[in-house]
Amino acid sequence: MTGLILQNVEKYYGSACAVTDVNLHLPAGKLVCFLGPSGCGKTTLLRMIAGLESLSSGEILLDGEDVSHTPAHERNFGMVFQSLALFPHMTVGENIAYPLKLRGVSKAGQQARVVELLEMIQLQQMLDRPVAKLSGGQRQRVAIARAIAAHPKLLLLDEPLSALDAKLRESMQVEIRQLQQRLNITTILVTHDQREAMTMADIVVVLGEHRVQQVGTPIEIYRNPANEFVADFIGSGNIFAAVALGNGQVGLPGGGTLEVPGSGPLVAGAAIKMLVRPEDVQLSPHQAPEGNRLAGTVTFIRDIGATIETTVECGGVSLISLTTPSQGFGLGVGHPVSITLPAEACRVLGA
Amino acid sequence: MKNPQIPAEPVETLSARGGLMKTRMLLPGETGRFASTLSWLILLLAVMPILTMIVMSFSGASNLDFPPASYSLKWYQAAWHTFVSPDSSDVLSLGKALGTSLWVSCLTMILATLVAVPASYALTRCEFRGKAVALQLMSLPLVFPMVVLGLALLLVFDSLPFHMDVSRLVIAHVILALPFVVKNCTAAMVSIGSEVEEAAQMLGASPTRAIVDVVVPLMKSGILAGMLLAFIVSFNEFTVTYFLYNIDVMTVPIWMYSRTVSSLDPTVFSFAVLIVLIDFALIWALEKLVGEGGVSF
Repeated sequence: MTGLILQNVEKYYGSACAVTDVNLHLPAGKLVCFLGPSGCGKTTLLRMIAGLESLSSGEILLDGEDVSHTPAHERNFGMVFQSLALFPHMTVGENIAYPLKLRGVSKAGQQARVVELLEMIQLQQMLDRPVAKLSGGQRQRVAIARAIAAHPKLLLLDEPLSALDAKLRESMQVEIRQLQQRLNITTILVTHDQREAMTMADIVVVLGEHRVQQVGTPIEIYRNPANEFVADFIGSGNIFAAVALGNGQVGLPGGGTLEVPGSGPLVAGAAIKMLVRPEDVQLSPHQAPEGNRLAGTVTFIRDIGATIETTVECGGVSLISLTTPSQGFGLGVGHPVSITLPAEACRVLGA
Repeated sequence: MKNPQIPAEPVETLSARGGLMKTRMLLPGETGRFASTLSWLILLLAVMPILTMIVMSFSGASNLDFPPASYSLKWYQAAWHTFVSPDSSDVLSLGKALGTSLWVSCLTMILATLVAVPASYALTRCEFRGKAVALQLMSLPLVFPMVVLGLALLLVFDSLPFHMDVSRLVIAHVILALPFVVKNCTAAMVSIGSEVEEAAQMLGASPTRAIVDVVVPLMKSGILAGMLLAFIVSFNEFTVTYFLYNIDVMTVPIWMYSRTVSSLDPTVFSFAVLIVLIDFALIWALEKLVGEGGVSF
């Protein structure tokens, strides 16, 4: 099996669990994002893959070979740290050449590779600059160039963009993605920024509460969150308690029923959690309830310019609807309104 | 910045109006007259011994009266004479004492650094039992009474079955210099994040190689500062050395002391001026080398 496989990986600090029960298969050549809130164990997991932390139990296999006990310096993985960790006493060129020097590459070979990499990151003229003289974005690129200089088997990025301002971060996201695709290098990116994960990753691994919550493509994670944690963490969503009625219908706490095909297999009377994304909630002028169209009252309106967030109280549940100004029809707080939750947009969340 | 006198104006107007403000308000970073007088006084006290020494070295009289009745360069001549052709009244030639001093100071500097660099690495990076105790023990020589330390070392060295000359001075000086070197190296070590070391390892450097290639170069200024301090501490050390020297192995401070005891004339001041000049040069070099990093004494 090619790619990186993690089997039953666990890490405990004394009795405190950092991460547990991790089983992942990361295919070769893909960009995988470890996404989760701070303290969920995503950085610990990355550091275990890097060899900077030992495993409490479990195995890490790279292309079928067990690397769990290989020291970090023998793994040949490139890593970009959150602080970038460039060597301040070396020039840009010396930083990039360092892994080559360690591998006994000739001076001429080092020079050729450094020039090639500097061209790739468009910093040719910076060869002899000390790293302290570079801007944030330039340092970022040098750190990436250094990490890939010795053709690593795996590229690990530990929140490398968190120190950059929003605009630079966006352009670096594109650059990293393009570079990764050009080199076709298996890459793991740790981030707490879901937008970064959604726009860059082939596969997103959502981590939370010290374990893997869901693995899937960004769209799968967004459209079909496996549980309440993922639904809540990814995007904004209306999550509310409801009761399964058993016949493909769901009862709301304050009365009213919804057609939810996904609730079919559930036993009548089971307490469940529902997710409806705000952009799926449709508003219309008040009319008689029918099917998934319910009556409600507007309780709050937030006009952000490009979109309008309308909060509607309906069947004992507070739902947020996201509309564009052109869809609006002059609603105000306290107005009665009809709200439609399309059957295919209503999802039943697992425990 | 049009006119620097402008801020003074409103103050005058105010005091002229109702005498609300008698003195100009102090801005942060400014000192009052009392504070600045006091600081100058203390500075003066600090340089007083050095000034006295310099004045005395130019004395024209043969006694130690201060201020001297006349001024001349004759004690510098005498010092030079003592240095090039020591007469029999001297306990030992200054040249030999200077040689011993330099030898002891250099050995102390090298040994203290070789101990302090790994020690400061361990004290910053590693967690181990008794770390707090180790830290305390490191600075013990700073607070330990020198006379007692000298006596204790003498007892230890005399009870040994073999004879030591220079080495026992070096051991004593390393003990005394170590706190300074460790403190400087630790200060340099603290500012080096563990991520650069990990980065070196990820790039293929073994843990030892990562320390040699990344940590030590980044500690350089702290190490250099520590080395020079060790040299200065050792070169000027008197109390402990006084217990441990013998007639063949004598350092410059001991030589100067015994010289003062045998013949009380201003020659020693001429030597002292030279030594202070050397110390100043070393401290100046230190600040140049360390730059903005700063030295902790």
